[in-house]
Amino acid sequence: MPSAADSAWLIPVLPLIGALITGLGLISFNRTINRLRKPVALLLISCVGAAAVISYTILFEQLGGAPPVEHLFVWASAGDFSLPMGYVVDPLAAVMLALVTTVALLVMIYSHGYMAHDKSYVRFFTYLAIFSSSMLGLVVSPNLLEIYVFWELVGMSSYLLVGFWYDRDGAAHAAQKAFVVNRVGDFGLLLGILGLFWATGSFGFQGIADGLATAVSSGVVPGWAALALCLLVFMGPMAKSAQFPLHVWLPDAMEGPTPISALIHAATMVAAGVFLVARLEPLYSQFPSVGVFIAVIGTLTCFLGASIALTQMDLKKGLAYSTVSQLGYMMLAMGCGAPVAGMFHLVTHAFFKAMLFLGSGSVIHAMEDVVGHEPVLAQDMRLMGGLRKKMPITAITFLIGCIAISGIPPLAGFWSKDEILGQAFQAFPLLWVVGFLTAGMTAFYMFRLYFLTFEGEFRGNDEAMQAKLMAAAGKSVDEEHAHHAGSLHESPWSMTLPLVVLAVPSVLVGLLGTPWNSRFAGLLNPEEAMEMAEHFSWGEFLPLAGASVAISVVGISVAVLAYALHRIDLGELVAARFPSVNAFLANKWYLDAINEKLFVRGSRKIAREVLEVDAKVVDGVVNLTGLLTLGSGEGLKYFETGRAQFYALIVFGGVIALVVLFGVLGGPIA
Amino acid sequence: MLEFAVSAPFDPAADIAAGIIPAQFPWLSLSILFPIVGSLMVPFIPDQGDGRQVRWFALGIALTTFLITVAAYLNGYDPSFSGLQLSERVSWLPNLGLTWAVGADGLSMPLILLTSFITTLAVLAAWPVTFKPKLFFFLMLAMDGGQIAVFAVQDMLLFFLAWELELLPVYLLLAIWGGKKRQYAATKFILYTAGSSLFILLAALAMGFMGGGTPNFEYAVLAQKGFSTSFQLLCYAGLLIAFGVKLPIVPLHTWLPDAHGEATAPVHMLLAGILLKMGGYALMRFNAEMLPDAHAQFAPLLVVLGVVNIIYAALTSFAQRNLKRKIAYSSISHMGFVLIGIGSFSALGTSGAMLQMISHGLIGASLFFLVGATYDRTHTLQLDEMGGVGQKMRIMFALWTVCSLASLALPGMSGFVSELMVFTGFATDEAYTLTFRIVIDGLAAIGVILTPIYLLSMLREIFFGKENAQLASNTNLVDAEPREVYIIGCLLVPIIGIGLYPRLMTDSYRTAIEALVNRDVAAMETISRPTAPMIRNPSLAPALLQAPKLPSPGAT
Repeated sequence: MPSAADSAWLIPVLPLIGALITGLGLISFNRTINRLRKPVALLLISCVGAAAVISYTILFEQLGGAPPVEHLFVWASAGDFSLPMGYVVDPLAAVMLALVTTVALLVMIYSHGYMAHDKSYVRFFTYLAIFSSSMLGLVVSPNLLEIYVFWELVGMSSYLLVGFWYDRDGAAHAAQKAFVVNRVGDFGLLLGILGLFWATGSFGFQGIADGLATAVSSGVVPGWAALALCLLVFMGPMAKSAQFPLHVWLPDAMEGPTPISALIHAATMVAAGVFLVARLEPLYSQFPSVGVFIAVIGTLTCFLGASIALTQMDLKKGLAYSTVSQLGYMMLAMGCGAPVAGMFHLVTHAFFKAMLFLGSGSVIHAMEDVVGHEPVLAQDMRLMGGLRKKMPITAITFLIGCIAISGIPPLAGFWSKDEILGQAFQAFPLLWVVGFLTAGMTAFYMFRLYFLTFEGEFRGNDEAMQAKLMAAAGKSVDEEHAHHAGSLHESPWSMTLPLVVLAVPSVLVGLLGTPWNSRFAGLLNPEEAMEMAEHFSWGEFLPLAGASVAISVVGISVAVLAYALHRIDLGELVAARFPSVNAFLANKWYLDAINEKLFVRGSRKIAREVLEVDAKVVDGVVNLTGLLTLGSGEGLKYFETGRAQFYALIVFGGVIALVVLFGVLGGPIA
Repeated sequence: MLEFAVSAPFDPAADIAAGIIPAQFPWLSLSILFPIVGSLMVPFIPDQGDGRQVRWFALGIALTTFLITVAAYLNGYDPSFSGLQLSERVSWLPNLGLTWAVGADGLSMPLILLTSFITTLAVLAAWPVTFKPKLFFFLMLAMDGGQIAVFAVQDMLLFFLAWELELLPVYLLLAIWGGKKRQYAATKFILYTAGSSLFILLAALAMGFMGGGTPNFEYAVLAQKGFSTSFQLLCYAGLLIAFGVKLPIVPLHTWLPDAHGEATAPVHMLLAGILLKMGGYALMRFNAEMLPDAHAQFAPLLVVLGVVNIIYAALTSFAQRNLKRKIAYSSISHMGFVLIGIGSFSALGTSGAMLQMISHGLIGASLFFLVGATYDRTHTLQLDEMGGVGQKMRIMFALWTVCSLASLALPGMSGFVSELMVFTGFATDEAYTLTFRIVIDGLAAIGVILTPIYLLSMLREIFFGKENAQLASNTNLVDAEPREVYIIGCLLVPIIGIGLYPRLMTDSYRTAIEALVNRDVAAMETISRPTAPMIRNPSLAPALLQAPKLPSPGAT
C-alpha cells in the first residue's frame, strides 16, 4: 500500500508551484495579478493547506510506527563522485513538517487581514509560499548538502521578506545584515561539510557519523581535526538560530512585516539550526567537548537574550530578544546531549511564540490607526497601555502566551523548559544555575510586556511622547502621519482566528511531553522515552520543577508590583543606581557597536584601500609601461585621441605580418 | 585545388581509430561561416539608417546560427564519447602546415552553444542601437562567427587567427559605441590582448616546429608530440600570460574594468559572456591538455592566483562606486573559481571550472544587460546618484534581485553548483597536501561572504530606501519592457535549469573532462621532483590516498 510518506516530495513542491504561478504572473502581468488578491491568497493557502494535510497524514503514520522512508536520485556526478538528493521522512521530519505547515497556514490566514491595506499583498503571499517551500524542503533533506541548499534558500526568503518594505532604510539594512551574518555562518557550515566529506566520503548524517568514528579511531583523521570540523558545521546553526555572537541579525530582522517575524523569525527558520543539530546528533554525540561548547554558547545566548529583553521598549524587539533567549535554551539542551528535550522546546516555543508575535502584530495593526504607519511609534510600549478593553481576544491570547513561556504548569512552556533544565542540572550544574535565573528573568520581562501593553491607561495620544520618540529615532514628525486620529479596535477575524487556534496547542501540547509518559520522546526516540519513564521519580522531579515555578512566580510578582500595581519603581530602584548596567543592557551589550566599528567599517576600509592599490599601483604600472613604450611624456594623451586607433592597427597588422613571415620562412627551414 | 588533393591522407578509418569521429555534415564550418557570410550581407540590407530592418536581419542570422549549433549538438554530438567529434579537416596551406580543422569535444561543445546563445540575446539587447546600426550589427555577426571559430578550430595557428580576428570587432565596438573614455578603454584593450597574444603565436610556432618535419599545428598532432618538460614549462608560461590577460588573472586584469566600464550593454554581454571564457577554454585546451608535465608544476600557481582573483576582485568590487565597474570586478572574482578548478587534479573540480564558465557566461551576461537597461533610464552609473529606484521600476528590481542572487551562488541556480563542485573537488583532491587544501578552501570560502556583501549593498543602494528626488525628477524611470523581461527570462531558464539538475549540462562534457584530468594526474604522478612544495610528496601518496575511500552506507 502506498503510504503518505511516499508522496512527501509533494509537501515542498506544492507551495513552490503556487509561488511559481503567482511569481511569473507578477513579472508578466503585474497589474492584473495585483488585482487578483483573493484568488492568489486562496491558491497559495490551499497549496500550503494540502501540504499540511499530507504532513499530518505522515505524522499519524509515524505515530503508528511506520518505518522511515527515503527516496534518492543522483543529482550530480563527476569522476567517481556522485551526489544523491531526495527526501527522507522519519519521526523528526514528520514532527517538523506538521509544525511548519501548521504555523505557515495560520500565518497566511493572518496575513490576509494584516496585509489587507498593503499594495504589495500578492508579492507578500508569493514570498510566503517560497519560504514555506524552502523550509519544508530543508526538513525532509536526507543529507547535509541538501540541507545546505535549502538553508540558503530560507535565508534568501528571509532576506526578501525582511526587506519587504523596501522604501524603509531600516528594512534595507536589516535585510542585508540578516543575509550577510547568515553567510558568515554558512561559511563555516560549507567548510565543515566539505571537510566532513573529505574525511568520510559521505554527506549523509549517519554516514558522516560512522565514517568519522572509523576515521578517528584508525588515526586517518586526527582528533583535533574532527573536532574542528564539528565546530565549523556548528557555525551554521549559530547564525541561523541566532546564537551569540551571531545573533545580531535577528532583532534587526523585526523590520519585516509582523507575520514574517512570527513565521520565520520565531517559529520555523530560526529553529532550523536547532533542527540541524538534532539531525547531527549521531555525529555530535561522539564528541563530548563539542557538546560542552554548544551548551555554553546556548546558555550564554539564553542569558544575553533575556537580559537585553529586560529593558526593551519596542514590543517586537522585546519578543525578538525573548526568541534569542529561548533558542539558547534549545541549544543548551542539544549541548547536554538531550536533542529530544531541545526539539520538544522547539515545538512548544513555535506555537506560543508565533502566537505572541501574531498578537503583537494585532496590537501594532490597531496602533497604526492611532499613531500612523510609523514603526517607531506603533511598536513602542510607551504609547500603548489599556489595550485589553479594546482588543480582548488579542489580550487573552497574549496573556496565555506569557504564562506559557514563563513556565507555569500545565501550559506548554513549563514541560519543555523544565525538561531542559532537568537535563542541564544533571550534565552541567553551573549552566543550570544560569538557565534557572534566566527563567525568572523570562517571566519578568514577558509580564512587563503584557502589563505595559494591555493594562493601565492608554497613552497613545500623548503627543509630547510621540515627538520625543520620533526625535530619539532621528526622524522628523511627518504631518501626514501625525494626525491619524483613528480609534483602537479589535482586529478582523482573519487575524484573531489564528491567535485562538494557536492558543490551544500553547496550552495543551506540553502534556504530550510529561516526563513520566512522554509521547513526544516516544515518537522521536522510543528507547530514551522508556528509559525516562523508568527512571522517573517524583522525588527528583518535584524539587526542580518546584524551583523553576517558584522563580517564575517571583519574576511575575516583580512585574506585577512594578507595572500593574506601581508599588515599586524599577527605574529609580535599579536603573538609577546602576547606570552602567542599564546602559550596557540598553545598548545590547554594545555588540552592534563593535560589529559596526570592527567589521562594517573595517571591511569598507580594506576594500577602499585595495581599490586604491588597484587603480594606482597595478593599473599605474600598466599605464607607465604604455607611456614608456610610446616614448612620449604625454603618452596618455595619445590614448584619448583618435590616433591611438592607428597605433593599435599597426600593432595588429604587425602581428598578422609576423604570422605570414614566420609561416613563409618557417616552412622551408623545417 | 592542390589543397584538396593533399587531403587524401586524412583517412576516416584512421581517424576513428585515433578516437576522432568525422562529421557527416559540416555543421561546425557552417556555424562559423554562416554568421560571417551573413555579416557581409549587412551592407546590402535596405535600411533607412535607424536600424529597423537591419536588426531583424541580424537577429535572424544569429538565431539561425544558434539553431545550427543546436542541430550540431543534437545530430552529430555524442556526449558519452570523450574524443573529437564533428571533425572536419581540409588542408589549407600545407606549406605553412595550416589546416582547416574544426571539431568539437566536451571542452568546446558547451561553449559553442553558449556563444551562439548569448550572441542571439545580445543582438536582441542591441535593439535600441540607432547610431550606425549597419556597422554595429555587421560587427556583432562577424564576432559570432569568430568566437565560434575560437572554440571549434582544432589547429593552433587557426586558433591564433580566430583569436586575433575577434579582437578587431570588439575594439571597434568599444571605440565607436562606448562611453566617454572609450578611446582610452579600447586602446588599452587592444594593446593588452594583442600584446599578450604574441605569446600564443610564439608558443604555437615553437610547438608546431618542434621536432622537425613538416610543421603541423593540429591539436591532435601537438598533443602526441611528447615535448620535454623544460620546453613545456616555457610554452606554458607564455600561454599563461596570454590567456591570463583574457580570463583575466590578477594582476593582468586592468583592461577589463575600463573596457567593461565603457562598453554598451550588448557588447558587455559578449565581453562577459563569451570573451572571458576564451581564456578559460584555452587554458584547459592548451595548458592543461597539451602541456601536462608543465601543468603539474604550474597547477599550484593557478590555484593561488585563483584565490587572489576571488578575494582581491571581490574587495575592489565592494569599494567601487560605479555600477558597471562593480559588476566587471565581480566577473573577475568569479573567474577565480575557474582557475582553482583547472588547477585541481580532480574530475569534479575541473568539471566545476567548466560549469562555472558556462554559468558565469549566463549570469554575467544577464547582469551586464541589466546594467545597460538601468543606465538607459537613470543616465548615471554612480551609485551615489541612485537610490529608491525600486519604487517606480518594480519589475526591474525583481530581475536585478534574481540575477544578483544567481551571481552570489544561491542554491537552485547554476553558480551554486559550479562553485560547490570546485570547492568539493579541491577539498577531496589528494594531489595537494592537506594544509594547502585547507588554506585554499578556507580563503576561497571568504569569497562566499564577500560576494553577498557587495552585491546586496549594491541592490540596497540602487533600489531600496526613499526615492532619490533629484533622480526621479530628471529622468523617466519606466519599468522594464517585455523585450527586456524576455531576454532575462531566456538567460534564467538555463541558469535555473542547471541549478536544479546540473547533469543537464555536466553530462555533455563529463567524459572529455575525465580524460583530460586522467592525463594530468598521470603526468603529475610521474614528476619525480616537484618544484612546488604544495604538491604532495610522492612517498606519502598511498597513506593519503586511503583517506577518502571509506564506504558511505547512507549514500545509496
